[in-house]
Amino acid sequence: MVCGLRAEAPRTEYEIKAAYLFSFGGFVEWPSRGARDEAPFTICVLGTDPFGRVLDSTVADGALHGRKVQARRIGTTRDAMDCRILFISTSEERRVSTIVQALNHADVLAVSDIQGFAARGGMIQFVTAGSRIRFEINLTSARDAGLTMSSELLRVASAVSNNRVPGE
Amino acid sequence: MPALARGQQPGAPRLTELTLEQLGDIEVVSGSKRPEEVWRTPLAIHVITREDIRRSGATSIPEVLRLAPGVEVARIDSDHWSVGVRGFGDQFSKSVVVLIDGRSVYTPLFAGVYWPAHDVLLEDVDRIEVIRGPGGTIWGSNAVNGVINIITTPAAQTHGTMVSAGGGNIDRSDAALRYGGGNGSTFDYRLYGKGINRGAERHSDGIPFDEWWTGQVGFRTEWTPATGDTLTLQGDLSKGQHGQRASVASFSPPSQVPLEGDLDASGANVRFRWERESTTGRGFRLQTYYDRTSWLAPNFGERRNTFDADFVHHVTLARRHTVTAGVGARISPARFIQTIPTLDFSPRRETSSVYSGFVQDEFDLIRDRVQLTAGSKIEHNTYTGVEVEPSIRALWTPRPGQSAWAAVTRAVRTPSRIEDAIVSTTFASNVAAAVPVFLRISGNPDFEAERMVGYEAGYRTRVGPRAYFDVAAFHDVHDGLGSFSLGQITVEQSPAPLHALANVFYVNGVSGTSDGFELSPDWQARRWWQLRGSYSYVRFNLANTPGSVDVNAVARYSGSSPHHQLRLQSQVNLPRGGEVDVAYRYVSALPAQKIASYHTADTRIGWTLSPSLALSIAGQNLFSPSHLEFNHNADPAVGIARSVFVELRWRRGSGRP
Repeated sequence: MVCGLRAEAPRTEYEIKAAYLFSFGGFVEWPSRGARDEAPFTICVLGTDPFGRVLDSTVADGALHGRKVQARRIGTTRDAMDCRILFISTSEERRVSTIVQALNHADVLAVSDIQGFAARGGMIQFVTAGSRIRFEINLTSARDAGLTMSSELLRVASAVSNNRVPGE
Repeated sequence: MPALARGQQPGAPRLTELTLEQLGDIEVVSGSKRPEEVWRTPLAIHVITREDIRRSGATSIPEVLRLAPGVEVARIDSDHWSVGVRGFGDQFSKSVVVLIDGRSVYTPLFAGVYWPAHDVLLEDVDRIEVIRGPGGTIWGSNAVNGVINIITTPAAQTHGTMVSAGGGNIDRSDAALRYGGGNGSTFDYRLYGKGINRGAERHSDGIPFDEWWTGQVGFRTEWTPATGDTLTLQGDLSKGQHGQRASVASFSPPSQVPLEGDLDASGANVRFRWERESTTGRGFRLQTYYDRTSWLAPNFGERRNTFDADFVHHVTLARRHTVTAGVGARISPARFIQTIPTLDFSPRRETSSVYSGFVQDEFDLIRDRVQLTAGSKIEHNTYTGVEVEPSIRALWTPRPGQSAWAAVTRAVRTPSRIEDAIVSTTFASNVAAAVPVFLRISGNPDFEAERMVGYEAGYRTRVGPRAYFDVAAFHDVHDGLGSFSLGQITVEQSPAPLHALANVFYVNGVSGTSDGFELSPDWQARRWWQLRGSYSYVRFNLANTPGSVDVNAVARYSGSSPHHQLRLQSQVNLPRGGEVDVAYRYVSALPAQKIASYHTADTRIGWTLSPSLALSIAGQNLFSPSHLEFNHNADPAVGIARSVFVELRWRRGSGRP
């Protein structure tokens, strides 16, 4: 299958990242949100949307945890509470600390490609390895938020750290 | 095709069906970010990235601007360029606003940019956003045909040391040094210095008057005292001597003499910006800057101080509306220095000021499908009082990988000091008169703003997974473009000898339309090979308004910009960090400038010698020893020479290259 992929046309960076966002959903367990568990599984983008419509087409017709998946663009972290996965765009680079603080250990899987995101309290950070996209995990941030990451996810990650953000 | 656009290929599994490990094994196209960034912008915008700049081999901002579709760059001599967007190319590109990190370098003296005095370290430039078409609602007056936004990289991304040095036949020697540090989150800084020494272009009379040099130092710091607040302080100091030739009238024979010498330029600026972003979708940006320029040329001089303050606030309301509102003031006192008797301003001292306010609402008419942006700027300026610059833009995203937009915008170009207050005498003719005739041009305090209403539309689409295509078309309606009044002939005895004067002043005497379009395809042919192109077309339908008599103005507007421009560019990445880039361009004739059409090509070859050391050789204007691009104010036109430039760049530290 991997060989077949190589022969194909190149993918764009954000097609791959969109596919990762969807896939992460299958490797993480969220604590119950009560009645709101019936709501669609929402993947949100905060800040300038780098995906265009790629994210929408990636999640279209997809299902996670037995629920329909939808993509949403949000302008504020307040809106993030209904999201299961939150992607923070590089447009928010200098606000990362504020955003992480505002999330305040909410049970939202925070993912970004901002440099140093995992070290600054994020959960999953995309990293570029040559022309390939990989990811790093800050396990402490995920645990503090009550999220359980599967061993498969931790095994594939290029790095897993257990740092708590200084000062917290 | 819809399946392709959805990122799904025939016979291939959906990416979401792959394992995490398989996802991590897929190679992605580099530079694929660009299309997505402009995807949701209802503007004709082209972004020149830092990588585009590096690989162009260009050594100055005007040369880099050749990369953008719809932009006409013509080098007049070594230190002067005519830059136009969608027509109206002129050494004084009156209707294009140029900003460096939000600081306007467009001077009210002659309405345009004096390029050699406004340099940046090209390695610091993160991107240049070139906006074609009217942008008055956001950028205010003079953003009639375009806006050029030069944005430097945050200091957090330029840690470490960078040294570059190069030399060649025209770009005789360039050297730059930059050092940056900080902790990457709360405090970062950089310092730089650069010097350039440029040789003359090719002169048919053999006088190399356009040699020049500049030196510049500057800094940038970013401080994040509390989360959500960013304070940026930056500044530059520059000095240079730019060779000039002017044609100066004298009442005694030979009536007209060339005057050669250096323009001594010095500049200083400091900019402070405070940005606050709260997590509730509100934020503001407060920017203030001070800019000082001092120019002393053989035929004129000016000292100018500019104080600017700008405040922009944005708030997201009810999730579907983002309202942006702002106020601004720019106060620019200046003093003209007379150096020759035949060029003066009346009055010599004047303060140009602009006060402005704007409001804009961006709302989702149909979520993720149709977005409308409407707003207006209202300005008060010294010369023409109140000006209103409204716009309405619509963006439609029918399918993934496709977007279409349309806009109607009103923009104005306010008078320059030349049009308001110049008193200039130039030699006109010896023929058909008993005495020599001189042209006396006077400023006109009643000269109105030039007004334009632009109708634009554009379409962007991804063609398969590797190609991207952008088309934008425009129909601009111009009213009151500048021209000269009917000459009143008077005879003057003093200064002796006896001579005749044709007295003219500036009037708003030309109106009409300009139409055109730009096509810009972009194709990642192979993982290691990128092809790009652009074709730009513009035509004019201008005429004197009833009562106007200027016989040259219409021809000058219509014939000083190429009607056709073609650009083709290939970038090849070789193994082990080699790069081979070629760019071809065709520029059609400029009859008003007596310039024939030309073809030429540039090339650049780069090698990565070690992770911190890179070498490049760039050749420009390769097809002929020299060619003409624009007429010179003081004849004859200057040939733009074939040039070679070799550069070595060394870099150590974190951050981006």
